[in-house]
Amino acid sequence: MTEPKGIVFNIQRYTLDDGPGTRCTVFLKGCPLRCTWCSNPESQHPWPEVTHRDTFCEKCLSCMEVCELKAISVDESGIYIDRELCTDCGACVEVCPSTALQFQGEAMSVDEVFRVIKKDIHYYRNSGGGVTVSGGEALMQPEFVEALFAMCHEAGIGTCLDTSGYGNTLGLEKILQHTDLVYYDVKHLDPAVHAKYTGQSNALILHNLELVVNSGTPVVIRIPFIPGINDSDDDVAAIAGKMSEIARTAQIHLLPYHRYGMGKYKTLDRDYEMGDTERPSDESLNRAQNIFESYGFDCEIRK
Amino acid sequence: MPKVDGDAIRKVNVMTPRLQKLKKEWEDAPPQVYVDGTLLFTESWKETEGLPLDVRWAKAFEKRMLEGPVTIREDELIVGSLTKFIRGNGTLCAMKPREILAMCETGRFDRKSSDIDATYIDPEDLRKLTEDAKYWVENMPQRNFVRDAISAEMGEDHFDLMFDRGMVFEGRAVREVVDRGIFENWGAFGGGNCMPTKPAIDNGLNYIIKLAENEIEKCMALGFQQPGLPENALRKYHLLQACIISCKAVIANAKRYADLAREQAVSCPDMARKAELLKIAEVCENVPANPPRNFWEAVQSLRFLHLAPWIESSERPEVGVGRIDQILYPYYEKDMLKGDITRQDAAEMIGALWLKIRETENLVTVKREHRAAPGTLLPDVTLGGTDVNGNCLINEVSWLTLEVMRQTLLSEPAIYIRYHENIDEDFMVFALECNKDFGGGNPAFLGDKLGTQRYLDRGVPIWDAVNWNASGCLGYHLDIAEHQGGFYSLNQAKIFELTLWNGFDNRTGKQLGLKTGDVTKMKSVDEIIEAFFKQEDYFCEILRKHYFIWWSVEQQHSPMSGLRCAMLYEDCIPAGMNSREGGARYPICRASWIGDRGITDIADCLAAIQRLVFDTKKVAMAELLEAMKANWEGHEKLRLMCLNTPKYGNDEDMPDEFFTKIMLGTQEIMQSRPDPFTGEKPMLFKGAASGHTTQGKSVGALPNGRYQWTPVNDAATSAMPGMDVNGPTALINSATRDFSLASASCGFTHNMKFSKQLLDTPEKIKNLANLIKIYFQRGGWHIQFNIHSAEELKEAQKDPMKYKNLLVRVGGYSAYFVDLPRDLQDEIVERTMHAM
Repeated sequence: MTEPKGIVFNIQRYTLDDGPGTRCTVFLKGCPLRCTWCSNPESQHPWPEVTHRDTFCEKCLSCMEVCELKAISVDESGIYIDRELCTDCGACVEVCPSTALQFQGEAMSVDEVFRVIKKDIHYYRNSGGGVTVSGGEALMQPEFVEALFAMCHEAGIGTCLDTSGYGNTLGLEKILQHTDLVYYDVKHLDPAVHAKYTGQSNALILHNLELVVNSGTPVVIRIPFIPGINDSDDDVAAIAGKMSEIARTAQIHLLPYHRYGMGKYKTLDRDYEMGDTERPSDESLNRAQNIFESYGFDCEIRK
Repeated sequence: MPKVDGDAIRKVNVMTPRLQKLKKEWEDAPPQVYVDGTLLFTESWKETEGLPLDVRWAKAFEKRMLEGPVTIREDELIVGSLTKFIRGNGTLCAMKPREILAMCETGRFDRKSSDIDATYIDPEDLRKLTEDAKYWVENMPQRNFVRDAISAEMGEDHFDLMFDRGMVFEGRAVREVVDRGIFENWGAFGGGNCMPTKPAIDNGLNYIIKLAENEIEKCMALGFQQPGLPENALRKYHLLQACIISCKAVIANAKRYADLAREQAVSCPDMARKAELLKIAEVCENVPANPPRNFWEAVQSLRFLHLAPWIESSERPEVGVGRIDQILYPYYEKDMLKGDITRQDAAEMIGALWLKIRETENLVTVKREHRAAPGTLLPDVTLGGTDVNGNCLINEVSWLTLEVMRQTLLSEPAIYIRYHENIDEDFMVFALECNKDFGGGNPAFLGDKLGTQRYLDRGVPIWDAVNWNASGCLGYHLDIAEHQGGFYSLNQAKIFELTLWNGFDNRTGKQLGLKTGDVTKMKSVDEIIEAFFKQEDYFCEILRKHYFIWWSVEQQHSPMSGLRCAMLYEDCIPAGMNSREGGARYPICRASWIGDRGITDIADCLAAIQRLVFDTKKVAMAELLEAMKANWEGHEKLRLMCLNTPKYGNDEDMPDEFFTKIMLGTQEIMQSRPDPFTGEKPMLFKGAASGHTTQGKSVGALPNGRYQWTPVNDAATSAMPGMDVNGPTALINSATRDFSLASASCGFTHNMKFSKQLLDTPEKIKNLANLIKIYFQRGGWHIQFNIHSAEELKEAQKDPMKYKNLLVRVGGYSAYFVDLPRDLQDEIVERTMHAM
């Protein structure tokens, strides 16, 4: 069997928000969903992409000189890449002296990723932590995740899958054999609304969730709480009702919408669709929490 | 140790209306130069002409204790002030007459002290101070001894080569503080710390006086039988006299506070305050002369004995407070059991002590950036530790002390917690909560096992070895094993720069180092490293000789030993020597310390050369040198390339291996030359404070992308600012790559920066506690966490390159702060401010 490679766009060490204890989070690139509130837009396309951090641009123009397709322009306001022309060949990244231009996404073998993970093995063991694979959507690269988790388990490192649930069921089943905890996103119960804001229906997601619950793997339902999209009492109650049917023992995390991803859209020359949407009020979060609690769930508002 | 009720501790109110008022008065008070102390000192000095140095110094101390002002401020509980002002800067012209004279003549009293921008001096006082300084410039008897001895041995050239403006000889000690190049001397320590000791507090000074008197009597009756030269007998006699005079002076001073309290009580209309004043009188009547009878007296005794060394020599750079929880707990426990005090009473009492310690300031005569440790007078407080069986010694006073720190929010004293595997976990969580609320790296943590092991290694038995405390910035100290023989620092970054230029110094235009070869002809980084070690070896040899002469000559003329002898009475009285001369219980520990700094810079330089010159061959060595000489002007692109090569602190093999290699090689070179007095390996010291700013001033541009004259990297194992982009575990792994690194050195400091976000839930705090655990398991010595302040985030907005590593994290998302749009950045700044 040829060793599967994963397209990784970030390996973040000492993460504390992606599962219990001290963790290492591996962010995989590529996602079948296009959630309008996405805070990791660089994770969406499955191929490596060039991004520009304009803060660091020294206006040396090396990138413009090297780009044969004339896809780059640099002016006072920063860098602009014509994505119609750009083939993400990376020649500009190579010559950029200030790391303003970067590649997001690198094909890495399981071994290569594991080598980084292993460096912090003591920190996981002492804290009940481990590895989380996030994305992007981990289920788009199931063989890779499966192999990585198997390797982690062999080394006694705990694993957590952070997923939207939208992916191949067979792949998911295999991954679950080596998974200690699943962070599972549920965004909306109405298939049409779900499709409108994420690009896909929720049928597969709900189906897969049942599979996860039935596998006996502990699961945390994570609900991105987005003003104007799923924050009405009815929306929340619908999710709570469904969850009490199919995931009665799960813990619920409410993830308040935030705008930190906004800057990343510019680095990709894309528009941010959420406009001026603000972080949800504490009041609305508390109300949602109360609804979940009234259904008997342990519900936590995450920071 | 009984389980501490953490919730009860968290509920105490340290900042009672009384302490709020005292703190406000201190904050509002203008800093003022206090001259009476130095005038009284000089007056006494003139009266005691002809007496032995130790006795003269003790008498001058006595005069100030008897005639200097005593003040009790409204509502004070714990008393004892350095000067008559709330924020008086004490000073002694005898310690540094020329610097003070220069200040007087230019009228510039604007040098920054800890957090003072300028200090005020009354015109009449200015006249008196000028006169006093002039007297000392003309009459300092031992002024030139050290200089003469060194130039006789090493030649006048030595000064020209090694020190920009030569050495400055001031008062009793040598100070070389200006424009340092290769060497740095933090040597004006006056022979190490003099700090309050537990036996002195517990038994009282009368007991010590009695011992000294008995010793004199015994020697007179049976003969001194002092080893060595005949004059050593006389020396013992004088030392004991100085000890007795000093102790009596401290007692007499306390009695003056008692008298003043009674006097104030007579006219006090408020009955409650009147009773307090009478109580203060009773307390000061009893301590520090006699054993404290209760907690209040123990705190007051500690205050007097911490203040005394400051008055005795008002230029001392550091007086530790020591193991405050171990000193005070027996008294606390007794009073609590009897029901005489409550937690609340004790918290206010420690809070009152905290304010008094913070008040103590001296007149700073050198520029802030030239000070070894600006912004601090280093009254280090140590908490916890282990007993001989490894049991945790955290007690309720340890908890209260942290709570006092959290609520008083004063920049000093700094607290150091001795960390070990058996430490109370609740206490750790509490300490990190306090750290988060305090913001500025307080408390810090020290490796308990390593600290004790260092003394065991030098033959100190376990029952004494476990008693060490934090000292300076940041070493350790065991008062019965005085080890601060002398302190010198080598500027590694400068030596590396010289290596790149074949020993030639571009700044001075002189051949300062050896000719170790033209680096443009070298075939590998290893060759450069070899050349660097040769240079280092050369400078080490010079350093050792210089130190040998300096320290031995200085010692003969350094008189302040009466008080120190008293604090270490168990050993120094029978020995008839002060600790520095070998009177300590374990004099073998008195080995010299050598500091090294700039190793991070060197590792990063080597990594840049490896990557750009040898691996990718993108740059020729000559081109790199040219860019450095031009301070990167016209070579901006090359500088960016250098900046973006792999850097130490990211758990990456290449730069980290260079770091370890240079660190271990340096250690070997420095320790291959034993201390000339004890024959022991010198200790290496990698201090935390800001010598890096001073040392950087002489260092030209370096291949790590650093500009000329800018600071070299701070602390021992921190990464270049903003360059540790792989997070805290990676930095810790880099810093502890070789487990043995910290064991040979002292002050092996490790500073880390966190955003508040990483500490905002109890689970996250537990993760941080775990991080600390692993750091010490991997052989670390010191770790402290600074929390990014709103000001720093604003700084990051202005200078993003330096804050490249500043992460914003929420579940499933991470991005760098500097990449966020401005309004979002502002939002985070806003939130950080409100969370304070």
